[in-house]
Amino acid sequence: MPTRINIGPVHPSTHGVLRLVADVEGDTITNLEPHIGFLHRGVEKLVETRMYMQSPPYMEKLDYVAPLAMDDAYVATVEAALGIEVKERAMYVRLIQLELQRIASHLFFTGALCNDMGLMFTMFMWCFEDRDRVLDLLAQTTGQRMFYVSMRLGGVTLDLPPDFADNCNEFLDYMEKRLGAYENFMEKNPVFMERMKGVGVLTSQEAKDLGVTGPVLRASGVPYDVRKAKPYYVYDKLHFEVQTDNRGDNLARYRVRIMEIRESARLIREALRQIPEGDAKGMPVKLIGPAAKNRTVTVSRECPRGEAMMYMVADPQKPYRLSIRSPNFVNLSALPHMAKGHRLGDLFAIMGTLDLVMACVDR
Amino acid sequence: MIDSLIIYSVLSPIASWWQAWTGSGSVLLYSAAIIIYAIAVMIMISIFAYIFGWVERKVIAKIHHRHGPTYVGKYGILQNLADIIKLLAKENITPANSDRLLVKLAPILLLAIPTFLILLLPLSQSLQATNLGLGLLIIFVIIAFLPLAVFIAGFATGNKFADISAQRSVLMLVSYELPMVIVVAAIALAAGSFNLASIISAQAGFTYFAIAMPIGLFVFFVAMLAEMERPPFDLREADSELIAGWLTDFSGPYYAIALFIDYTKVFLGSLLIAMLFLGGWLGPVLPGVVWLILKAFIIALFVIIIRAATVRMRIDRILRFGWTWLLPLSLLNLILVYILFAI
Repeated sequence: MPTRINIGPVHPSTHGVLRLVADVEGDTITNLEPHIGFLHRGVEKLVETRMYMQSPPYMEKLDYVAPLAMDDAYVATVEAALGIEVKERAMYVRLIQLELQRIASHLFFTGALCNDMGLMFTMFMWCFEDRDRVLDLLAQTTGQRMFYVSMRLGGVTLDLPPDFADNCNEFLDYMEKRLGAYENFMEKNPVFMERMKGVGVLTSQEAKDLGVTGPVLRASGVPYDVRKAKPYYVYDKLHFEVQTDNRGDNLARYRVRIMEIRESARLIREALRQIPEGDAKGMPVKLIGPAAKNRTVTVSRECPRGEAMMYMVADPQKPYRLSIRSPNFVNLSALPHMAKGHRLGDLFAIMGTLDLVMACVDR
Repeated sequence: MIDSLIIYSVLSPIASWWQAWTGSGSVLLYSAAIIIYAIAVMIMISIFAYIFGWVERKVIAKIHHRHGPTYVGKYGILQNLADIIKLLAKENITPANSDRLLVKLAPILLLAIPTFLILLLPLSQSLQATNLGLGLLIIFVIIAFLPLAVFIAGFATGNKFADISAQRSVLMLVSYELPMVIVVAAIALAAGSFNLASIISAQAGFTYFAIAMPIGLFVFFVAMLAEMERPPFDLREADSELIAGWLTDFSGPYYAIALFIDYTKVFLGSLLIAMLFLGGWLGPVLPGVVWLILKAFIIALFVIIIRAATVRMRIDRILRFGWTWLLPLSLLNLILVYILFAI
């Protein structure tokens, strides 16, 4: 006779307000059911009542660990609907900002994962120290540390400052060194490896069937990355590898993210070398913008947590309808499948490797 | 008649010690002596717990690249006092579906066991409540009740997380108790006695058992970490899994007691390791009890650093680790000690 326990919505490691109803026999999970909606704000409806460029602040609060990624997805959707071309230099600036954001987000993941596994705050504090340096860099190019609202139609608010390339390269050198130290710290710990290897395995077929995206999908051996599959901005001009791992377990999901930090660093270095001179400034925010050219558009973006897709039905002055495909929502739906049969302690390790942000799940 | 009763009781060594010291044999005086000694030891435990609590916060903060407590008192030394006062001032909530008697008794039982054990330990050549011939055996008999007390506390609150914590407690008992006792047997073999004072005097002249049996030290230290509910074996109060395990529904003063129990257990574990492996009170210049507590504190520092360096083990892995690593290692240690000391 299994015991039914209620985990959350207030629990130390549910990453926000997620409620899990778990049936456990002793310590083993026999059934798991996520209950969501505690953070539902009705963003999709709210957007319908706002002018196009009034909505980016709402979009940033979807994924508060990587706000710029969601901001970019929304602004790109609006640009597609209004038929606005992005300036060449602005593309590079956006790419650099997005990759910096990816590094920050994956650092957050690494720290939070160790927290979920019982290493209280050591890794978390170290990763936050480095993430802080990324936020400083982002503050130099966007003016803000956390919620940027820096994307404008056709460009960005602020161009890169003159000493940005040096600061950025210096940080990336530092980051690569630190990353090696972190890998040593975690992967040479037999307890850590024991809890990562072979836990929460998602085969590539299962991953495809469940519709997971991003690092979770790539860790199951499917080399799908929107940056390569449907290149946007200048991703097709730059060189990077899609990081995959065939094991599909916790370790693979963690490894893929660590490798992606390295790839992002490579992308930023290359983009900083290639960035053309010119103007990156976007259009100023006006309540009355240009009228929409395309009635319906769908834009997908590779966010740190997976593929975010935005479908918009455009009206002349504001969106008629916006639908957001949240990568977190789909990844969360794979959790019951992955956690079944595992120990209660592993449930949180698996959830940690999914890297959920509940604000994005509930929208 | 009273004299014969005392002789057959556990307290006979205290009686003889008191008699030798004062030259009188009154029962009232024995009791008074024991009570005074117990109060002194309680004060010592409290001071250790307080300083350990502060050092733990500071050391972990340094590892985290934080500052730790800074505002309350110099270097935040009074922060723990402020926390205790806050907890004592809070309301004690007993959940409706809990066993009211057991909820009140379990923390007391949990505090009583390690405190009683520290009372039984000889703190220096002269500072000891009792000199039991089978002291080592009695200590490890009583220590086995600790996880059972956690089990009682877990089931008493009626919380489901506490239930899981209680189950884990018993599972862990099965995995580390046996290797620990086998190491203790090796120590008794090496010292030729179960008496703690003779075990320590057998280590005189820097022939510490830590040097003679490093494998035994490793096994015993790991088992003690599990006994103390310290990471990576803090499965009973796994904060990221079970919220706080058996502590989930404890609040106010009872939670303060639970924190105190935690530190008392660390003190007990460190004292035991210092006595059995590091020569206890043996050391030059300083008085014996200072050496003992110094050694205990160094061991406690290792406990803190391990907390900041490793993730939590999983329950089935602990069982496997206990039976496939600790048990064979402890047996190997026993054989080596037999070859080294007995032949």
